Formats: sequence, C-alpha cells, structure tokens
Amino acid sequence: MSKQQTRRPGAIAFNAVILGFSLFMFWQAYLISGFSALSSPGTFPMAMSAIMVLTSAGILIKSLGLSSPGGGFTGFRKEILPPIVLLFSLIILAFSLVLKPLGFLLASFLFLLSSIWLLERGRFGRALLLSVVSIIGVYVIFRLIFQVVLPEGIIPERAIISTIGDYFSGRH
Amino acid sequence: MIGKFTGAIAALALFVGTATAADFPEQDLQGIIQWGAGGSTDLVMRAVSPHAEKVLGRSIVMTNKTGGVGAIATQFVASQPADGYTLLMSAENPQLYKVMGISKLDYNDFYPVNVLARGVPVLVANNDAPFNTIKELVEYVQANPGQVKMGSTGPGGLPSVVGGMLSAELGFKVTAVPFDGDGPALTAMQGGAVDFMPAVLGVAAEHVKAGRIKVLGIIDGQASPVLPDAKPITADYPEFKKYLPWGPFFGVFVKRDTPDDVKAKLVEAFKTGAQNAEFQKLLSDRGYVSLNISGDEADNFLKKWQSTTAWVVYDAGIAKNSPEEFGIAKP
Amino acid sequence: MDAFSYLFASWLQPELLALTALGTFAGIYIGAIPGLSVTMAVSILISFTFSWEVNHALALMNGIFMGGVYGGSRTAILLNIPGAPAAIATAIDGYPMAKKGEAGNAIGLSTVMSFFGGFIGIAVLAVAAPAVSEFAIKFQPRDYMLLAMMGILLVGALSGESLAKGIFAGAFGMLLGTVGLDPMTAEQRFTFGSVELMNGISSIALMIGLFGVSEALLQLHTLHIPAIKQRVDKIIPSLADLKKYLPLSLQTSAIGVIIGALPGTGGDIAALMAYDHAKRVTKNPEVPFGQGAKEGLVGPESANNAAVGGAYIPMLTLGIPGDAVTAVIIGALFIHGLNPGPLLLIEKPDMFWFTVGNLTLANFFMLIFGLTGIKIFTRIIECPKSVLFPLILLLSVVGAYSINNSVSDVWWMLGFGVLGYFMKLYGYQVGPIVLGIILSRLMDDNWRRAIISERESLPAFFTGMLSSPLSATLFVAIVLILLGQTPLWKRFKARGLAVPEKS
Repeated sequence: MSKQQTRRPGAIAFNAVILGFSLFMFWQAYLISGFSALSSPGTFPMAMSAIMVLTSAGILIKSLGLSSPGGGFTGFRKEILPPIVLLFSLIILAFSLVLKPLGFLLASFLFLLSSIWLLERGRFGRALLLSVVSIIGVYVIFRLIFQVVLPEGIIPERAIISTIGDYFSGRH
Repeated sequence: MIGKFTGAIAALALFVGTATAADFPEQDLQGIIQWGAGGSTDLVMRAVSPHAEKVLGRSIVMTNKTGGVGAIATQFVASQPADGYTLLMSAENPQLYKVMGISKLDYNDFYPVNVLARGVPVLVANNDAPFNTIKELVEYVQANPGQVKMGSTGPGGLPSVVGGMLSAELGFKVTAVPFDGDGPALTAMQGGAVDFMPAVLGVAAEHVKAGRIKVLGIIDGQASPVLPDAKPITADYPEFKKYLPWGPFFGVFVKRDTPDDVKAKLVEAFKTGAQNAEFQKLLSDRGYVSLNISGDEADNFLKKWQSTTAWVVYDAGIAKNSPEEFGIAKP
Repeated sequence: MDAFSYLFASWLQPELLALTALGTFAGIYIGAIPGLSVTMAVSILISFTFSWEVNHALALMNGIFMGGVYGGSRTAILLNIPGAPAAIATAIDGYPMAKKGEAGNAIGLSTVMSFFGGFIGIAVLAVAAPAVSEFAIKFQPRDYMLLAMMGILLVGALSGESLAKGIFAGAFGMLLGTVGLDPMTAEQRFTFGSVELMNGISSIALMIGLFGVSEALLQLHTLHIPAIKQRVDKIIPSLADLKKYLPLSLQTSAIGVIIGALPGTGGDIAALMAYDHAKRVTKNPEVPFGQGAKEGLVGPESANNAAVGGAYIPMLTLGIPGDAVTAVIIGALFIHGLNPGPLLLIEKPDMFWFTVGNLTLANFFMLIFGLTGIKIFTRIIECPKSVLFPLILLLSVVGAYSINNSVSDVWWMLGFGVLGYFMKLYGYQVGPIVLGIILSRLMDDNWRRAIISERESLPAFFTGMLSSPLSATLFVAIVLILLGQTPLWKRFKARGLAVPEKS
C-alpha cells in the first residue's frame, strides 16, 4: 500500500468511533472485577482495553493532522461505500435474519437467487440453476454427510428425510 | 410411481400435522451433547447411543453444543418442542446453574430418561509430594495453610466441590489453580505445576498404574476394583459418610412435559442400551459406577446430589446465590 | 507378530490402504471447507466406526487428520478463507499469490512443504517420542504465557503500514478472546447478560468474517474487472526452489513438532509462530511478506503438518492429547476397549508402530492427492465474481453455523465481515485481530495460573521465571526478538557493535 498523505473519506469518524468503543470496553472491563487482584478475571481485559484506548487515541490524533480528501459525501460513497456494496450487505443482513425462521434451504435459495441475479444483472435462468445446484451440494455435504443440523424453519426436513428413508427401506 | 410419491407426501403431511406419540419415533432424533468432542460426556453418549438406536429403530444425530459450562445446550433443549425428539445429553453441571448464577434452568425442568453412570473422585498427587495418604495430606496442609497447590477445574467443578467438603470438615486451606479440565490439570501436575488434585478415578487411573502420579485415597465409602490400593476417605474421616456416595454423573434428559408414552419409549431404549455388555465394560474400565436409573429413582438421585453439592459450594464461598433462594433443602 | 512389523501393516493390507487413502482424500476437503473441522469429522466417525476393528478406524482417522490439516491451505490460498485455524498464516501470503495468478504454484509449494513438515513430525514421533513428551509436560503455566507473548510479537510483522493500528487490532483480538463465561472463576465477561455470549465469540466465525466476507465485499468495488487468469504450468516446485527453502522448512518443522507436542497448543499457534520465524530469518525475500512471499507459505505449511506428528507424541506415550483432534482419537480408543495412557506404549507397542507407519502412508497420499487436481481448483477463482461471491458468502454462513450449530455465530461472522471491510479500507490490518483471539486464552489463563501459583506476588513470579531454565530461555528469546526488531538495535548493528546473537 502506498503512503497516504490525505486521509480517506470518513477516516476521522471511523477512528473516533473506534476510540469511543475502546473507552466503553475499558469501562466494561473495569466493571468485571475492578482493581481487586492480579489474577482477577478483569485484569487482562483491562490491560488490553487500555492498550486499545491509547493506540486508538494516537491514531485519531494522527488522522486529524492529515489533509482532508475533499469530495464530501460523494467521495465517501465512491471510495468507501459504493451502492453495490451497500445493497449486497443489506441482502446478507436479510439472509441472516430470515435464516432461522425460514430455515436454511429456503433462506439460502432466496439469497443465492437474488444476489446472483443482482450481480449478473438479469440472467435469471442461470441464477436459478446455480442456486439450486449449489444448495443441493451444500445440503448433501453438511446435512447428510456431516450431520450438521442446519436451521429447519418451515420446511420439515427431518420428516422428509425419514419418509424418503422409509420409502427405500420399505417401511411404508 | 406417482402414486407412491403422493403417498409419501400424504405421510409427510401426517407427520407435520398429527404425529401421535404411539408411533414415536417417526423421524431421527437429535442428541445435544453439552460438552465438547472427546470429553467424557461426549464419549459416554457416543458409546451408549448406537445401542439405544437399535431399540428405537431410528438414528440419533449427535451434536456438540458447548459453552457456558453446558448452559447453552441446556437452554437450547429447553427451547425445543417437548416432543421427545430433542435429547439433552449432559453431565451434573445444570444442578449448580442456579447457585452459580449461570442459568435459571436445572434438572427440575427436565425428565431423566436415564442417569447412566456416576464417577468416583480420588485424590492424586505429584510423585514428589511430601504426603502419601489423605491423612498425611490433611496434616501437611493444616501445618502449612495456603502453601499447597491444588489442581482445580474452576468453580463448581469436581475439584472445587471436593475441596469444599475438605475445608468444611477439616479446615483445609490450599491454593487452587484452575485448569481447563481434569486432563490438563493432571498433565500440569505431572510437570509439577500443582502438588495434588481431586480427579475422577477413570481419568487418573492409567497415570497411577503407570507410576507417573500417586493416589492418596478415594472419596467414596469403599475401595474401587480399578485401584484397590486407594484407601476410602471414610476410613480416617468417618464424618465424610454424609456426603457419600458423591461424584459427577452423566445422563440423558428430555423436557419435563414430554408426553408419557414418549418418555416410556425413550426410557426403555436407553435402559436396554445401557445394559449392553460392551457399554458396561467401557464404564467399568474407566472406573465409573453404572447407575442405569430413570424416572422417580433418578429424580431422587438428582435431588440429593443437588442438595449436597449446592450447599457444599455455597458454604465454601464459591456460589453466587444461596441454595435457599431456590428452595434447595439443606441435607 | 513383532510390534515393529506393524509399521508396514497399513501399507500391505489392501483394506487399510484403501481406508487411509479415503480418509486422507476426505480430510483434504473437510479441512478446506470452513466450518467443517477434523475434530468434528473424527467424532462423527466414533459412532460410525464403533463396530470396526480398531486399526481400521484409526487408519481412517489418521488419514482425515493428516489431510485435514493440509486442506485448510486450499481455501486460504484460493478464497482468503482459511479452512481451519492452522491455515491462517497461509492466507497472508498465499492469497496475494493467487491474486497474481500464481495459485497453482502456491498450492503446489504448500503441498510439498506440508508433506515435508508432516514427514519431519512423524520422524520425531518415531525416534524421540518419549523424550519429547517428557520435555513437553515440563511446560508450566508461566512458560505457556511466555509462548503466548512470543506469538504476540508477530503483531509487528502483521501490522502493515501502521504499527499503532496493528497493536490496536492485536489488543482488540485479545479482548474479544476474553468474551464469555470465564472458565476459571465462572465470572461473566462482556456478556451483557446474554446466554449466547457465555460461550464467547467463536474464533472460526470471526476468522471467516474478517478474512473471507470482508474480502468479498472489497472485491465488489472491482466487480467489472474480470478474474485473473491463473497460470497452471508451474505447479510442482522446482528442485532449486526446494533446495532454497529446505533450511527454513526444517526450522519451522521443528517449531511445529514442539508446539504440536505441547498439550496446551496446536497447529494454529505453530503455524503463526512459524510465519513469524520465517519473516525474521528471511533477510531478502524476492517478494515482500504479505504480498505473496513464498517463504510465508513454506513456514506455516511445514509447521502445521509437523504439528500432527507432534500432537501424537504425548497421546501415544502418555495418553495426554496434544491437541483437540488427538483428544477425540483418545476417546475413540477407549470406545474400542483400549486404555490409552502411559501404559499403552508398554502394553501395546504395536499400536505405536502402526500409527507411525499409517501416518507416513497418509502423508504420501496427501502429497499425491494434493498435487493432482490443482488445475481444477484454480478454476474456482476464475469463475465470474458475480457467481463466486454469493457462493463464498453462502459457504461462510453455513461454515459459521456449523462450528457450534448456532445462528449467533453467523451474526458474528457477518458483523466482523463488515467491520473488517471498513478496517481494511481505513488502513487497519485484520490479521492481528485473529492472532489476538487465538492467543488470548493462552495468555490470560496462564498468566493468572502463574500468578495464583505465586500467591499474587510479582517478585516471586519474576524470581520463578529467572530461576527455571526453561522459562529463562523463553524470556531471553523474547527479549532478543524484541530488541532485534527495534530501530535502536538496528542502529547498533549497523555500527558493528552488535554482540553475536545467541538463539
């Protein structure tokens, strides 16, 4: 990386948030056990958060000294948070929120379909095919072979698997 | 083909809608193991489950859900439907959650399908330690209060409870150094980091037999066939009788309000599973005492265990809350 | 049959040969997929191989272990998502190589170095197991603490442009490592009353987020730029290259064996310390570290596979697990009716020689499977980004979930993905955070154990440290490394006043 003479848009705000967070964590660490003993559970967290406070304060002061990048909010949008990143992040957020209620199968399908479709700009058929194939792959490896019980949600997977199992073993 | 397929769909709709307990289990069960892969709980559960599966005719999909001394797994099972499809495979820890301030759950919220086995605590020491029996240890500690280092596994663990019993009865003051489990603590003891420690017989036995550490005595009413030379603590200190038998245990649980016929099926499956000769051999090799109890018998066992232990840890000053707050009777 | 003759048992019996091959093959993919761990696979196998003969079960498990530790490097190099913690250090220089179109070369080199490291580990296991395990159990809490401090010095190497930001990230990682129910006192740290947080923040979820997700988000900036064409002509490293890296590989393998044999540390820490070592001893790398230096691959990849042999050392000689995987294997031995303990080596020496022979076999299979199919793998990153990124994210989500079957790990993973994205943009490196979270418990717990043992007395603590030969050596090593990295010392050296360095 090249040496930056100008700071990046939003750098001061970010560094300030980091400093604020460090101070908060130091306070929380102090609340664990105060200055009671060298071996107390709060000693190490306090030491670490103190380092965080010192370094982040230094970083903030240094970034204040750099010249402003200019460009205002447009610059921020261009360099730090382009619309595509924001949109994609929102899709991921939505995915993580519906993962439990909808279940793995449905949530991942919707996620893959919408994100591939978005990034590919339009080729729906291809997005559909890729989503289905990759979900089947993941499901077989994780759920069937490694027995990781993925969130079931509204599709009664265990019942389906049992039914299929019974069907092959001739129990029904 | 199509007919069969619609049949399957219909059957499926039946499971989702009106699965009745009479046909239990209609699908695979899920076993939530409270401790990590390779630990003694994990081991015992993975050893007994294949036998229980044979009786149930379904697989039990085992999942390790660790953390919060098992509280996360306990909480998870409590949040699942009370249909008997989610089993909690756990150890003694939940009985101390309330007094330790970790969780509001304990085995009152669960039905004991099977309390499989109980471990026996022993006291073991570094070979160079200046004591060879429990009596010598106690006298040495009384002469040098706070100087002797005891390996421990954190508050509520077996060493802390045994340490609590010793200090309640004999004015036993030591420096407890906590490790991640009895395995790591035993290792550290061999390297000289601690002088002695209470441990489960099964974990310590192989090291004693190989002469790497020495056994001071056994915290039980009678000697064990695994280490016949270890003298029971009651021989020198009969006041310990009131605590005994005591030791960590393993059990399989479902939520208390699971339908009775489901409970009955699970009890039968695990009872048969636990009777299996291979499993019994595994238990006795590791120095565990097989219990194989369920229902009221198990509930009584759990209750007694909780009352003894909760009061010991409370009196030793380890607990955050008094057992009284939760209606745990003083033994 | 004589115990020693079991050395070749798995080479000669077709079933064992096949099971080892199958295990190694499966292991490579288990290791490569984030969230699927060798520990998990081996514990599933316990129930599955319940009724088998013990050697059959072991052959499968040994193969998975050997393959799995190596497999983590695949995704680390190709996608910047280390498949396992032991491959974190591999990502630091491996992924930049892939970005330059040298993924094939990077995988080839890691494979050969893993093979080499694995071989050293097994050799030490075979000839010096009892001595090494006696040495390993001598490590006291104080010594583990000093080891953790040595690991922390790596922050200096991972910091990038700003040391202050590197130190911040390291301390942040250490702090994250303390979140949860403190195992030593049952005190809750930073849990804010949440039961989910009692378990702490999974270092694997954090790693997937910080490395994989943040990288995928960053790459969205350049979505329109097509993926770089991968060169696949130079997969197997040249003889000259191997000769050049041999000394480094030997040194880092030694680090790997020792760290692997220590009951409190495993392949992840071994690989990180090996990376630090590689960076320190390589005076003039062809490519700077962090931008695709081959030495940055050689070090960790030799060390993490050497740690496999190392982990078996205390397990087979004393019944003490050298890491999480060997702990599960010990469990498997119990279920098969054996009593793994200090007596195992005396009562069943055939077990020892079988394992040594079988691991060697697995190591060969690893080399073979590792070197074949690289071309297909490198195609992965030639996929259009619009397809690759959603898939990476899906895999990250499933991987994070699988670690502990918990949706909150998924949220942590995504949260750290976003945080890592911003941190990278503002010039912070994420490597030190992961380093911190891995070393946090090692440091915190052992510091407290050590100071409790000295009854809270700092003078006694330092006296103890300087009077124990092991602690004193580690302490001096740390001081020397620290001095060697500071500008003052460099100036001294430049004037020719330097005292000959002892190490």
